[in-house]
Amino acid sequence: MSIIELEGVVKRYETGAETVEALKGVDFSAARGEMVTVVGPSGSGKSTMLNMIGLLDSPTAGSVILDGQDVTGFSEDERTEERRAELGFVFQSFHLLPMLTAVENVELPSMWDTSVDRHDRAVDLLERVGLGDRLTHTPGELSGGQQQRVAIARSLINEPEILLADEPTGNLDQETGGTILTEMQRLTEEENIAVVAITHDTQLEEFSDRAVNLVDGVLHT
Amino acid sequence: MAWRNLGRNRVRTALAALGIVIGVISIASMGMASAAINQQASAQLGDLGNKVSVSAGEDAEENGVTQTQVERIDDLVSAGTVVEQKSDTTSLSSRADTVDVVTVTAVTEVAEPYNITSANPPETLHSGALLTNQTAETLGLGVGDPVKYDGSLYRIRGIITTTSRFGGFAELVVPLSAMADRDEYDTVDIYADSGSDAARIADRLDSEFNSYGRTEEKILEIRSTSDAREGVNKFMRTLKLGLLGIGSISLLVASVAILNVMLMSTIERRGEIGVLRAVGIRRGEVLRMILTEAMFLGAVGGLVGSLASLGVGAFIFDKITQNAMDVLVWPSSKYLVYGFLFAVFASLLSGLYPAWKAANDPPVEALGE
Ligand SMILES: Nc1ncnc2c1ncn2[C@@H]1O[C@H](COP(=O)(O)OP(=O)(O)O)[C@@H](O)[C@H]1O
Ligand SMILES: [Mg+2]
Repeated sequence: MSIIELEGVVKRYETGAETVEALKGVDFSAARGEMVTVVGPSGSGKSTMLNMIGLLDSPTAGSVILDGQDVTGFSEDERTEERRAELGFVFQSFHLLPMLTAVENVELPSMWDTSVDRHDRAVDLLERVGLGDRLTHTPGELSGGQQQRVAIARSLINEPEILLADEPTGNLDQETGGTILTEMQRLTEEENIAVVAITHDTQLEEFSDRAVNLVDGVLHT
Repeated sequence: MAWRNLGRNRVRTALAALGIVIGVISIASMGMASAAINQQASAQLGDLGNKVSVSAGEDAEENGVTQTQVERIDDLVSAGTVVEQKSDTTSLSSRADTVDVVTVTAVTEVAEPYNITSANPPETLHSGALLTNQTAETLGLGVGDPVKYDGSLYRIRGIITTTSRFGGFAELVVPLSAMADRDEYDTVDIYADSGSDAARIADRLDSEFNSYGRTEEKILEIRSTSDAREGVNKFMRTLKLGLLGIGSISLLVASVAILNVMLMSTIERRGEIGVLRAVGIRRGEVLRMILTEAMFLGAVGGLVGSLASLGVGAFIFDKITQNAMDVLVWPSSKYLVYGFLFAVFASLLSGLYPAWKAANDPPVEALGE
């Protein structure tokens, strides 16, 4: 059963007089434990599609179904709650907070939540990505690959159902990228979550169960 | 978290805090300056507040207050001392010097109006004379020396210490018998027990002497120093408002500085805040984080400012009331508390808009990848 579904999703951006249709009726789904890569040329709508799945933005038409629930009409606050509980994000440029240590960055999504203490889980996740000896380092003291591993640990802190990654290896060299992807794949299997990863790097496809191709806002499977 | 965010751009944070510090110092020291002036004014005017002065009004038939009127006043004033006096001017000479204009007051009751230094200060004056200290000094005269007024010699029985800081004036006090050739008194002073008693006596005398049925006449001119006191208080309030106003303007400027700093730092961290929002941090939580930063800034600035103001205040009090410790009493030290609270409040207020803006920035746009 799919954890996430897009049904006929259309996204139009109105910039002044011009209207850009970034997604032209996309149907997509992903299941738990599955790693799907989205490939396609720059400007084809990949990030837009990931924003739809990640509930960062809402579609112009069509619907988004998360774990069987139609979340299309959700308000920003409702979407925030879903993101917090169900989704993990990994970005191309890591987006760690520079003044926080590795372990604090991992704890960040739960930092305002006084009902749970995620410190032990944060340490455990960092150990699992091989950064057990870098817990109190700040991002400035870590390499790109290490920073991205902290970001992966962060994305998993709230035990999400889906991990979304927008070109996670885009800022890394081939070899580091490879180890990051292996790491990601292993963790998502351990945690039994769905992964949707964007790439224009064909290397990423090797690690995935399935690849879809987005060209000019239209999805080709 | 908020604390560390502030630590990131230390120079900017320090500048914003400095703005608040200056704001707090100016508002607190203006407040304390007015408190110091007020305290000093009260100290100097304190003994004037309970006095009523009566002299002949414009509708009076005689050229002064008559003996009959004095007796009526005496009957009307139950609690308080009535001091009737006549005045003149003269010039006094000695071997040492000459003082041209000396006020001569002929009066019997001298204990209440004058502060006399001598081994045995007289309560009432039936013979001899009193002289103000500065005049005595200029003329090189002391207790026991004779002074000449209107052809008669009077032996000095005491020296009057003038309490006023504004330079003692020259005054010779002689017994009423010295001006026995005149029937009317120039002034009748009534020393009441308190300022409110004085005001009541003044009202009483006014209705007794100056209204006959429906007509109002100015038989006696009645002035109460509590009127003057009221005027001084009013002036003090205006002065305080003015000074606090100046202080507030600088705190307003400081607030704009905080607004600017908070706005800059949120714009700079737009991407980061977008990440926070993307990973599920609620809008309210982002808002709280930024407001906390602003509040920290205000609290630290306010604290430093209050401490610095304490120093400034001590200096002001030292200059005005000659006692730096007076700064600690509540009428003055409350401005330190006000300054601190104002700083926190102004910071929160200036943080509100940047915080609101940051919290409501759509996360996709903020991320802008
Ligand atoms: N916020 C936006 N406003 C206007 N146009 C946008 C916006 N985001 C994306 N687009 C447009 O939508 C199209 C798809 O963009 P994007 O999803 O970022 O492509 P990709 O990630 O595949 O490079 C592009 O033509 C881009 O210019
Ligand atoms: Mg993209």
